[in-house]
Amino acid sequence: MAVPIFTFNVNHKLLPGRVTIGKYDGTHSCLTAATTADKVLVHSPHRRMGLAVGRVVPSDANKELALLNINQSVMSICAGQLSLTEERDTLVVGTPTTLLAYDVENNTDVFYKEVSDGASVVVIGKLGSIPNPLAIIGGNCSLQGFDYEGNDPFWTVTGDNVCSLALLDFDQDGENELIVGSEDFDIRVFKEDNIVNEQTETEAVTALTAFRGNKFGYGLANGTVGVYEKLQRLWRVKSKNRAVAIYGYDLNGDGVEELITGWSNGKIDARSSRTGEVIFKDNLNHSVAGIVEGDYRLSGKNDLICCSVEGEVRGYNLSRQVNVRSDVYGGSVNAETEAIRDLFTKKQALMLELRNYELNSHFSEISVGEMGQQLAVANQHVGIIPAQTRLQTGIAVNMGTEDKPPHVEISLSTNNETVICAVMVFAEGIFEGETHVLHPKESEVTSRLDVALYPPRDVPVDIHIKALVGYEGSQHYHVFELTRQLPRFSMYAVLVERTQDVGSFLSFVINERLQRIAMWVNQNFLLLTDYEVVGDLNVTFLSLRDNTEVTLSMESNGRMEIITKNMALAGDIVQSLATFLNLEELQVSANFPEEQEKIGELIQKVSALQDVRLRLGAEMADHSGLIRSLVVRAEDARHLDDMKSMRKWYLELNEVNTDLIRGYNIRCKNHQELLDALKELNVIIQKAARLRVGKYKTNTVNLCRIALKNNNLNSLVKIMKTGEA
Amino acid sequence: MIPFSVFYIMEMELSRVDYTLVGITAPQTMKLLPSTGTGMTQKVTVADQDGVLQVFSVKKGDIQIGFKTLPSAGISRLELGGALGTVKDKIFVSSENEVRGYTKKGKLFLGFDTNLTEHIKSMHVSGSNLLVCGKHAYNQYHDCKDTNSYLCGDEINDVISLSAEKNNRLTPVLACEDRTLRVLDRSSLLHNIEVDAIPTVLHLNGNEGGETGDEILYGTADGRVGLVCIGRTEVNHRWILNDGKHRGGILCMDCYDMSGDGVLDLLIGRQDGTLDIFSLGDDAGDGKLTQRFSYSCNESITSIHGGVVGNAGYEEVVASTYTGFVFGMVSSRTGVCCTRSTFTPLSDISERLENLRMEIDEIEQRVNREREKYQAATQDKVDGLSAIPFIAINDKMTLCREDASYSLVLEVQTPIDNVLIQSDVPVDLLDVERNSAVVSYSACEPASGNYLLATYRCQMNTTRLELKLRTIEGQHGTLRTYVTPLVQPKCCQVRQYKIKPLSLHIRCHSFDHQRPYNILTLKGAFSLGEIHTWVSFCLPEIPEKVPTGDKVTFTFVSTFLDTVLHCSYSKGEAEFKSDNISTISILKDILTKEATKKKIKLDLLCAVNDESVVHTLQLLHPKLKVQLALSKQVSLLEALRELETHDAESLECLLPEYKQILKNEKELLTQYKRQPAHLDRLYGMITDLYIDRHKFKGINVKGKVPQLIEILDKYDLQNLLDFFQQQSV
Repeated sequence: MAVPIFTFNVNHKLLPGRVTIGKYDGTHSCLTAATTADKVLVHSPHRRMGLAVGRVVPSDANKELALLNINQSVMSICAGQLSLTEERDTLVVGTPTTLLAYDVENNTDVFYKEVSDGASVVVIGKLGSIPNPLAIIGGNCSLQGFDYEGNDPFWTVTGDNVCSLALLDFDQDGENELIVGSEDFDIRVFKEDNIVNEQTETEAVTALTAFRGNKFGYGLANGTVGVYEKLQRLWRVKSKNRAVAIYGYDLNGDGVEELITGWSNGKIDARSSRTGEVIFKDNLNHSVAGIVEGDYRLSGKNDLICCSVEGEVRGYNLSRQVNVRSDVYGGSVNAETEAIRDLFTKKQALMLELRNYELNSHFSEISVGEMGQQLAVANQHVGIIPAQTRLQTGIAVNMGTEDKPPHVEISLSTNNETVICAVMVFAEGIFEGETHVLHPKESEVTSRLDVALYPPRDVPVDIHIKALVGYEGSQHYHVFELTRQLPRFSMYAVLVERTQDVGSFLSFVINERLQRIAMWVNQNFLLLTDYEVVGDLNVTFLSLRDNTEVTLSMESNGRMEIITKNMALAGDIVQSLATFLNLEELQVSANFPEEQEKIGELIQKVSALQDVRLRLGAEMADHSGLIRSLVVRAEDARHLDDMKSMRKWYLELNEVNTDLIRGYNIRCKNHQELLDALKELNVIIQKAARLRVGKYKTNTVNLCRIALKNNNLNSLVKIMKTGEA
Repeated sequence: MIPFSVFYIMEMELSRVDYTLVGITAPQTMKLLPSTGTGMTQKVTVADQDGVLQVFSVKKGDIQIGFKTLPSAGISRLELGGALGTVKDKIFVSSENEVRGYTKKGKLFLGFDTNLTEHIKSMHVSGSNLLVCGKHAYNQYHDCKDTNSYLCGDEINDVISLSAEKNNRLTPVLACEDRTLRVLDRSSLLHNIEVDAIPTVLHLNGNEGGETGDEILYGTADGRVGLVCIGRTEVNHRWILNDGKHRGGILCMDCYDMSGDGVLDLLIGRQDGTLDIFSLGDDAGDGKLTQRFSYSCNESITSIHGGVVGNAGYEEVVASTYTGFVFGMVSSRTGVCCTRSTFTPLSDISERLENLRMEIDEIEQRVNREREKYQAATQDKVDGLSAIPFIAINDKMTLCREDASYSLVLEVQTPIDNVLIQSDVPVDLLDVERNSAVVSYSACEPASGNYLLATYRCQMNTTRLELKLRTIEGQHGTLRTYVTPLVQPKCCQVRQYKIKPLSLHIRCHSFDHQRPYNILTLKGAFSLGEIHTWVSFCLPEIPEKVPTGDKVTFTFVSTFLDTVLHCSYSKGEAEFKSDNISTISILKDILTKEATKKKIKLDLLCAVNDESVVHTLQLLHPKLKVQLALSKQVSLLEALRELETHDAESLECLLPEYKQILKNEKELLTQYKRQPAHLDRLYGMITDLYIDRHKFKGINVKGKVPQLIEILDKYDLQNLLDFFQQQSV
């Protein structure tokens, strides 16, 4: 329980995740946040008054507030130094269709850009070797970086909608890399256009923050927060609340930043970035909206500033507080009492375990058979099972029955008359929650239980199983715990031969022995018996999700072919193979007629939708002219006491209004369709890129982009096929 | 646990110091022995469920054991006693059906087997009189000779007697589960005092019963405290503390002057782990106690006692928790700066830590050896058994009156790993703020008997889990919890809770004869025992035992609708009266089913009172109106707020009504949050009412329900009444 060094209230609702701080005049920090009614609020306690006092005057907050009208819902907001020449911050605001860079000090627009993919996240900073600082926005599957002039020297695509961004010198080469968290649970690291790293998490990655060095913190939509050091996850914790904002700040003054998390229930905690241990916590009265760092007391030091959605703002600087506390109460004494309590608890747990074993030995002389069951049911204080009870498990592909689709089946059974009363499966990313529970009716419990799993995506999953084993009718069960890993491609059943004829394929040459590829097959697919190569490699699998087939074949000369309709799956296979074989780069030739056709349709659709949009825009402009004149006429009539005409004009106005609303709805729908089409387009480019590895992957994205700009469909298809223009 | 516990509430400033950890403790099993001189520290006596009684004192932060008995049967109660007029320093403990007495030096001077059939649940000692209570029976022994006894219709929670020094006679008071305090005179009932909630604990006001020695404080299961004054001829309800907040049930109370201002403070330990201190000043007369301190320790507090233990001259509150922690909340008088000297010097603490660590290392080695032995046994022995003792679970499921939902509390001696909740009836789990466990709902098919499958994965060091759930009346079944503690070898225990068909009803005392009632009468060849079982199948809070007498009556009130139900039954005949037709309909269905199971033929007679429907709707009217207004205001709030940000000036032009909404924004939102889906529940009740009413007339109106909902959405009492009437034609 710490006391903040300052608190005040801006008396406006703040939108979660849309809070930033900037020095718009180059010296004074201003808290800036998106508020309701499409506005951005700038709180500038020091700038206007020009007083260099070391405290915030919370009273009469209105004079310190300025509101900017954005007129579109604010999706993201960030302040940072964008201009190379001037030493002050520019405010960048992202909306669903536009990006606005704004000079707050001079009250002018720096640039205003249409961004068709939307700007749901924005960060400002230098990226790679690009000389100018960029405002990098993440939208529907796309990333785009704008400089001060409004040019976009950076553009690339990513797997899904972007939810979070951070800039960090990941490989410590002196240049920043971009870390991107997206809705498909992936954290990707971009070195300029090049993906250098990919890490799959268990939920949509909603927050990212960079630390000094190469650590970064992340937050997921399911309430998990954690810290990565390069590729290694140092720790993570899960809470029932959601992390709205995370930030790296050194609260205890030890030179290492802590991960500060603002939760949806208003809690703020600081955890050691190394161990995840909580070193500080406080509670706001409402959900946290954002956490920033800035010199808000003009003390020359940066304080940690937390804002709640109701406009409450608190500033912390804990290093001072730790001192205060130990001076007065002897903080160390209390740490010791805490330690004593922990030791007591530990002792108690050990004593209990000991008691378990001691009591167990009382019963060890009794033999099983009929006795065991009777004892178990009769005894109200002791849970009994035969000592030799084992839990046997098997994982296999089950082709399903009429009322049950094909699935991966984990069958559990005991080796004697004990029954499995319930099974809890803990795994992340394959159920709606984190657990799947099987609990048969009391009359139907047996010693065997099958768990059906439907992994939705091709990623390896760790599953933790807890099975409750005991005699029928008992009140106490032994818990058997085990952990298994599902291979990446577990939702594929092996087939004897190919039955479907598909024209789409992927082929490439790799310099590898067939046995290594067979090894990869064995590790990544769920097979009853290991696959062994006889002559050329040729295996066919059936996807349990959509009943399509995929064939992998490889001749001894190193020519490999992947035959499947599913371009994304082909990409997954290539990526998994490349990691397994440590391939630096790989160029392939691909032929996916369906996707190629689709890309043509999409391009047409996009241009049609864009035409409609222009037309609708023109219509709206016409209407606004009409409205203006109608209002004037109606008001004139009112002044002349001509109620009849006034009524007429207002009725007409009403009609125009209805038209406008109708037009607006059409525009909304049109816009949504456009967004979807653009997203699909980006996804196809991304899929095409994933068929390749290394520089060929990056090349594909860049070439596709140029082709798209020139509206050159033929070239686009060619790039998809060959990876070259 | 809150790591740093210094509080600034009122003028009190207390911090926690842990003394020792014993086994699981039952309520009221820890007391401080009286001080032997002014300024001297007092000794602590504590008894646990392992049957160990110990007395210890605290020197320089470390405990020094006075004496410690060997483990035996679990101790259910600890009392102090002594000859009237002398210092009460004799220790009495009850376990199973035995009472033992020890001197403060540890000499056993009394071993008394009561030969009662029930185990002793509560006990009180007054001079040479020993009062013990089992589940239903009260017995009084004078010098260990059976003198008086009384058999109570419902469970007895606590027993006490009015101050014998001041009254010159023995007046026992029993706190009973049926919401009464029973005052006895020898073997007969003197007064039957009705209270609002289930009394759980009794304490003499100011430890001696006030000036006249006849004032008794009682704590209730819903967290309230009351004071009654019990005279020979009349009973005076002085006050009941009712601050509208929902709090955990009270497990223990004590009176002690913590602040040193000459006014006694009331110390309260609750089931939810809160330790409260109230001032029992003059203004206590009107039930306005001032809260001086509050602390939360995340596990239920079983005993509490004020005194001087750790440091001479410093008052503190000593408390014991369910899992066996004995700790003090150490004070420093106002104005006196809390300096290091009040705490134990650092060196002593580190020595203590070192000792503890060594002790733990030793145990750890033993555990490792045993663990290997166990592992080996599971590998080698062909026909051995693995037998793991149950870990004690303290669980309680109670109906909260305020929001008509159940709260389920699970408390385990050791940290919990996870809890699986399974139900074969539809129930909603509600979010509990205090509960930090990560909940995950699993998909489930009703066909496999599962309507709810949820797991709670607990955070570090969670020994107590609180859940809240909402039931639907008319649906009955079982809720199961599978609790897995963190202890190796991992085991889990099942707990079952019956969800009764009329789950939202609670017992009450008064019955309003003025309301229009629907009457269900049953006649048939059933015994009193059978009908009692059926009724207890339908309704909560029915005593296990069949009450004595020919005719049994119970009155219930619905926590959600405030409708009442009156049951009276005897052998071969039963009558149920309720102003809510749905209640009668549910009863009718269940009773018929139960009787058919037993192959008993029933004659059912239903007298439906048409006015009752109007009456129920009128009863609902204010609730519905409030809820509708609330949901309307909340939905307006967003728009009004936008106006506020957009153009602050335009606010001036708003209707006062809207201005009010903006002003009360916070209250509205908290109120709305507190009662999730309240409106939906009300709609559900009205729909049931509508269907049930017509069911009794033999008309199926399910098809008209959408029409009803439409009327409810544009609610107007008259329209609704008309709709109900019109259909009946």
